[in-house]
Amino acid sequence: MFCCPSSLSEEREMSASVRSMSLTVCRAARVAYRAFNPVTRSLTTGACLRTESNPAEGSRGFIESTEEFRFVERLVPPSRIPAPPKHEGPAPSGWIPQSATPPSLPYMIRRSRMHNVPVYSDIKHGNQHSTLLRKIEGDIWTLNKDVKEFLLGLTGKEPPTQVNEVTGTIRIKGQFDKELKDWLLKKGF
Amino acid sequence: MFRATLAICGRTVVKRFISSVSGESALPSNLRLPSNLIGVAPQKRASPSGSDLPVLRRCEADIPAHLAPAQTWLETLGSHDSEPLGVVDLHPDVFSVPVRLDILHAVEVWQRNFKRISHAKVKSRAEVSGGGRKPWKQKGSGRARHGSIRSPLWRGGGVAHGPRGPTSYYYMLPMKVRVQGLKIALTAKLAQDYLHIVDSLEIPTPDPHYLLDLVKHRQSDEFPQNILKATEELKTVNIIPAIGLNVHSMLKHESLVLTLEAVKFLEKKLIWHDVRYTPLYPFKLPYSDLP
Repeated sequence: MFCCPSSLSEEREMSASVRSMSLTVCRAARVAYRAFNPVTRSLTTGACLRTESNPAEGSRGFIESTEEFRFVERLVPPSRIPAPPKHEGPAPSGWIPQSATPPSLPYMIRRSRMHNVPVYSDIKHGNQHSTLLRKIEGDIWTLNKDVKEFLLGLTGKEPPTQVNEVTGTIRIKGQFDKELKDWLLKKGF
Repeated sequence: MFRATLAICGRTVVKRFISSVSGESALPSNLRLPSNLIGVAPQKRASPSGSDLPVLRRCEADIPAHLAPAQTWLETLGSHDSEPLGVVDLHPDVFSVPVRLDILHAVEVWQRNFKRISHAKVKSRAEVSGGGRKPWKQKGSGRARHGSIRSPLWRGGGVAHGPRGPTSYYYMLPMKVRVQGLKIALTAKLAQDYLHIVDSLEIPTPDPHYLLDLVKHRQSDEFPQNILKATEELKTVNIIPAIGLNVHSMLKHESLVLTLEAVKFLEKKLIWHDVRYTPLYPFKLPYSDLP
């Protein structure tokens, strides 16, 4: 906004007022920035330290306070999956926790990160059903034999399986995910 | 040189003959070291499982019930021939993962190529100066028909299918694959006896020769001044902060020396990826419990 002052004194006054206005704008912006910045810095470092600054009476007449930031902090989500609460036996939803002592078998099947049994069913081309058994550690061939025996007793015929030693997975032809899940849960995995 | 190779060939032939005759299980020929090799092969250190030194560090994170922590010696850089101070527990989900060489290869190739921008660019026939006019008429001159003097057929003409402009080879492997690559590299270093855990990086002198002698002897954020000065001029011994650990450096350098704080930091960061949610928003923004 430009206005051309007629006399020199007016010009000097004009410039002084403009300068003081710009200074106040800068100072307000810096104060606002500082109000936001320190608390976000403390959050990004991961430690939930809040700088308890005394609400200082600024010369502008407003109070700076970081106490209310707890309303924002409690909305920030966690990044880790929590451990499930302790149940005696199955939970009301039907979820069964892993047994505290691992079963004394030559193989071990870990739970997924959501604490579920890692058995997944897969369909290809609409008609090819298979079951995938993941996160296997230890002797995978013994587990393969046990799975084949179990499914032979269940269905009467031995399903073809594909054992991948490198990734620790077994893919079984046919859809047996419920049966395999119950069988593994009974074993204690 | 020739004599050495000839000796190697001769000895291996003889050994193979002996082994086939006697039926003993000798080492395969690519693993056998000839006795006249220059440079001492590192002696395998005794495993710390049967020792009576105390366990000086336990793992912070919970170890699954069916796994046992990996153990290794805790050493000092204080003097050339100091005995190990004790035994250190290492988390099996970081230091005893199944070694997937395909993942290691994928991560190494990614590290080499994702930063690559090739600036090779050649001019096509449209970009070479000139060549707008038909050089001679279509019929009657007796010469081959041409439309411009800068077509790829001509000397001085543009290149037909050359490299075009800066090309980026950027791609990202999934975060979990890269994390698994780091875990596999650490496991491999531990398994091959190339991992050394050290209590701190304090060395008595800033002399580079001290470090070289130490390395030969042992066949092993903010850093102390001595070790910074000592490694400054050295090409083979390099020092990086724990956050700079990467698969390419681990494969390039023969052995890795970690301090106890570095081990704690790495375990915390690498195990978090096994128990985290899928990101709701990028992890560079604040969450309440990032490692």
